[in-house]
Amino acid sequence: MPSTGPLKIGDFSVLPISIPPVVTSYPKPITHHLYVRRNTPKVPTPNASRSLFVTNCPIDSTEAHFRTLFASLVGAGRFESITFESRKDYAHKSSPQQLLEAAVPASASRLLQAHSKKRKHSESEDDSAAGLEAILLPQTFTRHLLPSGSSAVILLADASSVEQVLKAIARQYSSKKSIPLIWPSPPQVKPLGAPWLKSHNRLRYPPAHVLQQSVDAFSSLFSQREREAAEIAKRLRSQPDEDGFVTVTRGGRNAPASKNEAEEAKRKMLERESKKKEELANFYRFQLREKKKAEQGELLKRFDEDRKKLEAMRVKRGKFVPET
Amino acid sequence: MDSSPAKRRKLAHSHDGGEKALQAAATGVSRSRAFALEAEELLEEVRLDYATALEGADELLHRIKNSIEAIKSQEPLPIAQAVAKFEKKHKIKVPFPDPQPPQNSKYKVAFEKPAQFNVVGSYVSKTMVKTQKDFGVDMVVVIPPELLQEKDYLDLRYFYKRAYYLAVIAATLQKGFGSEAELSFEYLNGNPLCPILSLQPAAKGDKPKGRLDYKIRIIPCAPEGFFPRTKLQLGASLIRKGRETDSEDESEPTAFYNSTLAGEGAFFAYLKLLRQTERKCKGFKNACILGRTWLQQRGFGSDISKGGFGHFEWAVLLALVLQPGESNGHKAVPMSINSTQLFMAMIQFLAINNFSEKPCVFGNAKTESEMEEYLQSGPVLYDSTRQVNVAFKMGPWSATLLQQHAKWTRSLLSDSTADQFSPTFILRADLPSHTYDMFAHLNYSDILVKVLGDDISESRGRSWQLGSKVYSVLKRALADKELGERARLVHIQIPALPKWALTEKPKAQEKSGLDIGILFDPLNMARAVDRGPTAGPSIEEAEECESFRNFWGDRSELRRFERDTIRETLIWKSTTPFDLCEEIMRYILGRHLRIGNIEGDLDCYGNGLDALLSLKPSDTTIYNDAKAAFSSFERDIRDLENLPLRVRQIAPICPELRHASIKLPTVKPSKSGPRPLDCVISFEASGKWPESVVAIQRTKIAFLLMIGNLLEQAKPGQLRTHVGMEDAEFDTENLAFLDVIYVSGVAFRLRIHSDLEETLLERQAKDKTQEQYLRQRATTHLAAFRRLYTNLPLHNQIITRACTRFPSLSPTIRLVKHWFSSHKLSCHFTAEFIELVVLHIFLSPYPWDAPSSASTGFARVLLFLSRWDWRTEPLIVDTSSGEMSKSDRQAISTRLEAWRKIDPNMNHTVLLLATAQEPSGVAWTGTNKPSKMVATRMTTLARVACQLIKEEGLTLDYRRLFVPSLKEYDVLLHLNVKALKECLRTFENEKDEDDAENSGRKNNSNSRFKNLDERTGMEALPVAEHPSDVLLRELNRVYGGDGVLVFFRGAAEDDGIIGGVWNPGMERRKWRIGLGGNYKLGEKRKGEGKEEEDQGEEEEETVEVNRDAILGEIARVGGGLVERIEVRS
Repeated sequence: MPSTGPLKIGDFSVLPISIPPVVTSYPKPITHHLYVRRNTPKVPTPNASRSLFVTNCPIDSTEAHFRTLFASLVGAGRFESITFESRKDYAHKSSPQQLLEAAVPASASRLLQAHSKKRKHSESEDDSAAGLEAILLPQTFTRHLLPSGSSAVILLADASSVEQVLKAIARQYSSKKSIPLIWPSPPQVKPLGAPWLKSHNRLRYPPAHVLQQSVDAFSSLFSQREREAAEIAKRLRSQPDEDGFVTVTRGGRNAPASKNEAEEAKRKMLERESKKKEELANFYRFQLREKKKAEQGELLKRFDEDRKKLEAMRVKRGKFVPET
Repeated sequence: MDSSPAKRRKLAHSHDGGEKALQAAATGVSRSRAFALEAEELLEEVRLDYATALEGADELLHRIKNSIEAIKSQEPLPIAQAVAKFEKKHKIKVPFPDPQPPQNSKYKVAFEKPAQFNVVGSYVSKTMVKTQKDFGVDMVVVIPPELLQEKDYLDLRYFYKRAYYLAVIAATLQKGFGSEAELSFEYLNGNPLCPILSLQPAAKGDKPKGRLDYKIRIIPCAPEGFFPRTKLQLGASLIRKGRETDSEDESEPTAFYNSTLAGEGAFFAYLKLLRQTERKCKGFKNACILGRTWLQQRGFGSDISKGGFGHFEWAVLLALVLQPGESNGHKAVPMSINSTQLFMAMIQFLAINNFSEKPCVFGNAKTESEMEEYLQSGPVLYDSTRQVNVAFKMGPWSATLLQQHAKWTRSLLSDSTADQFSPTFILRADLPSHTYDMFAHLNYSDILVKVLGDDISESRGRSWQLGSKVYSVLKRALADKELGERARLVHIQIPALPKWALTEKPKAQEKSGLDIGILFDPLNMARAVDRGPTAGPSIEEAEECESFRNFWGDRSELRRFERDTIRETLIWKSTTPFDLCEEIMRYILGRHLRIGNIEGDLDCYGNGLDALLSLKPSDTTIYNDAKAAFSSFERDIRDLENLPLRVRQIAPICPELRHASIKLPTVKPSKSGPRPLDCVISFEASGKWPESVVAIQRTKIAFLLMIGNLLEQAKPGQLRTHVGMEDAEFDTENLAFLDVIYVSGVAFRLRIHSDLEETLLERQAKDKTQEQYLRQRATTHLAAFRRLYTNLPLHNQIITRACTRFPSLSPTIRLVKHWFSSHKLSCHFTAEFIELVVLHIFLSPYPWDAPSSASTGFARVLLFLSRWDWRTEPLIVDTSSGEMSKSDRQAISTRLEAWRKIDPNMNHTVLLLATAQEPSGVAWTGTNKPSKMVATRMTTLARVACQLIKEEGLTLDYRRLFVPSLKEYDVLLHLNVKALKECLRTFENEKDEDDAENSGRKNNSNSRFKNLDERTGMEALPVAEHPSDVLLRELNRVYGGDGVLVFFRGAAEDDGIIGGVWNPGMERRKWRIGLGGNYKLGEKRKGEGKEEEDQGEEEEETVEVNRDAILGEIARVGGGLVERIEVRS
């Protein structure tokens, strides 16, 4: 280790980790760089002060890995949990709550959100505890790989732990401590490699009844949500709010019941219009004349295009020499 | 003052525009205008700068003339005496044609100064081009009439005198120019009757740039009109000595000899004709250059070995076609048209006329029917004004080939949508691997005497004689119209005659063998039973049968067919078109040419590729079986009664169900387990689908479960069903599929199409109120949706239909797929892309027509891939059989331009492949499949392969094209094949120690198949995915497909090595969060620490790829499956 003090990049502290070779296929000791800083989310959260932001996690990291790693760094008891935060457009498995949010049509979900205060909180929380887990489909892998270079937020016991961790990282560079931090291989983590892929082939075919249960649970919750949304919409339609305005919502007296029908109607109208237009084409003389003119213009345009194309070909020499 | 300026202006304006349009219209449609422009560009490019290229030629010609004129006259001496004296004095062998002059002949030879000198040929007409092989400046030396007698046209006497005359000139020039030039004899156009002297200036050290290695050819000829034309008719027999029959009228006509003699006296007549035409017709010269290029790219030349139709013949024919006045039905081509149109007119003319089937006569002296009898001696293209058969150097095969090429070019020129220029002039169309389905080499060094005896009556040489015999036998055997043509074309290639030194005897051909090229007819090529004439009672029928039996010998047997016809029949043992053709060739050549050891003497090439994949014609049956199995599966589903929605369509979407998979579909139980055939099912439109993509996906699972249950109930014991989960990342993607496994061994994988899904995704993608990443995701899913449910079913239809239309399409697709797979490219290209590229070769096959065998198809696909400039050209495959309009194509090109403008580095869309059904062009190549790096690699590999095909020709061992080169990869992951196999064997009741919680579920599922369990003890899980596939997919997901490390691998079953290349664009990057790769601090920075602050922030913030860590990660993920990771420096 160089004794030039802790390495930093931007506001990240660099934590070098030595990964011992565990498999014979690549028997080389490896140094992996973890980048750590205080968690400073744009929208402050209550836990921000006692959490750390880590990036460039190894693709096979799990919570167990980090727990063991932090235990050896700052001692046991500091580490509470880790949330692997994938790239924004990438959400491997969403939580049941997110799933339901995504499932409900955007308009309905907006309504639900806006009027969530009006719903009885206790009730919805009740069924989420019991039924929400059930709507998730069975996993197809025993372990999920992280995308390379992804980040995570580590929740520590308290704010002082954050300080301690950062100090401990800085201490890594002091000359006294010459043994680098070692990437653990916790025993409770399921193996990768052949057993992992083998089990995948089995997990891809979950038993039919498990699937059926999950789907049933989902559809009952989903239809419940839909009903709720419809009810709110109905209520809003007939009730002016505090300012005396009536919110315009779908499903009114004259509006079509579903968006699909609206689109269908629009399409039909457009069709009718274009048909009308067609009937009148080539009817007047000036139309014919204009058409002819347009055709001529087209011909000239194409002539110029050919010219241009030829010019382009000329630039790439060799196009005109017969092959030998 | 203008009375009506407004009107005037309007008039002038319209006139201007109108003129341009008129001009445009006069030159035809836009495409042919482009063709004309391109041809002009070609003319510019190939034109020689005579001053520098042939510098010093004029001066040399003058000196040669002077020194020839200075030769002293020689007194006439009897030929034997003169030759002996000459050869003793000059040590030069007189190049007499065979047979050598008899020792006792009385006629005398002498030497006088030539009556006339003249420079002829393309040097004077300035029609030489840069790309021609050798540059000859032809100087004609006219033998003075005093030296000749009228009767010299008999028995080669003229040619003996000519040879002697040439030898005397050679002796003089050898003295005068031997030091500065290399002198040798060669044959004029490979005609063994006419030796000429060639004088090649020695290459000096300080050769100026641009000067070519030209040579001066001295050609002695007869004075114009010296020999009476009437005696030189094609039917006359002018070689009488040495024949068995001495009586005049029974001897065979010596057409070639006569034509040569007639040609000897017509040099000036043709020179005059060409000069006159050149003056009268402006485009003539350029049309000749175009013709020369066209012929040259097709391997034609004036030399007998090159088909005997070269630049001279082209020019003469064009001049004749241009002659005013209608002659025997050929309408004269107007002189006023430009060179491109002249060229097209010539192509048209050549495409209509086959000189070997119907004589083509210019002038009124003879009618065509009179000329017909001369056809058996060769093609006839008779110029009756000069009484010369211009095509006398052609063989019947080259006339047919010429017509075939002209036909192909004609169809190209009438296809306004294709690129007309490159196939016509740029591409080389003479490589046998691209042209012929089968190529045979007949080694005749031992058999020549056996076949021909000591008959030397053929002036064109013995190899020609053998060639023409072989041709007539093979033509009857393979291309017989009555039997149904097995071959469209039989071509014979005769080896060229080499030049020889002055002091030696003429050399024999260096290569002693005939090359035979055969082009199959796709309709009849696979026929194993040939039905000959019916054996009826009438005399004609009996005669026909007699001649059939005479030709085919013992192989012909009588057989009874349906409707009680009894026919002469041939039964062949082989099954593939290639083997059939080989069997027939060996049999019939052995029979008619009495070649005993035909096995050793005849080598056939062209089926190396078929053997590679063991392609068989019976494969089609297996594909059809799979198709039939699919139909019965479809029926089973349609027969289900309790489905809540009505089935609209069940469409196949996998290569196995469109004749396009490398491996045949499994329709019987196999050891490796069933490979499911993908299909999609769609239902009648319904309002029952929930209005949410997530909910739709879940509903689909319920639907699949229901279909599975219903199927199992309807067909108890005949099938098993399993709902499997996709490795979906999002809940808005398709989540599940249904595997239906029949006991008979065939399996299907069903996915459900819901039309509402598309509408919802479309709406999401367009919804401006949504966050950007959500819209992006919806767009991606929408593309995947359309690919799976709209494009793939259509694609399956297109390819299936095309496979029925082109029998060799299916094997070609399989070969090309195998090639992609062997070079580890198949994981980057969709199967559909490859199929459409191959289809393109069949739909737009120019300069040939659609390939009739897999090997030519394969070679041409490689040729296309090597030449496809995907940076600027989209690939447009017209799958609607010619209904794509020009504006459609234009729109696609514009789309490519637009792509390139937004994304000049080609990070997103590299290849654009559009079809009539899918004009966006990215369905099969979107989402950066392949990336630029991979596409470049494809082009490079195809170029190397084409080079190899070109250089090695027929002797190429095709297996070499499929050997992957591993040296370009930075990293090689050697997979453990045994562990992979082990991993594939998954049994339901097998327990893993790590899977304690799953065991409960497993017990449950076992109970469902209790009866099976009791019988076998172990029931294999439905369909195992190949672990190598899963591993690669996961790695691609983790490292972003074309991120820091790009992986290459072929088909999972065969390829045990995954190659990896570090993406050069991602090596060092500026630090930020979410780089999408494993990066470490730069080495430099680490070493020097903080002292380096003056380097500026940018330097400090860079990180580089942590290669070791990445490979370590891969090793940990792969575990026992990866045997070894090889890192190459």
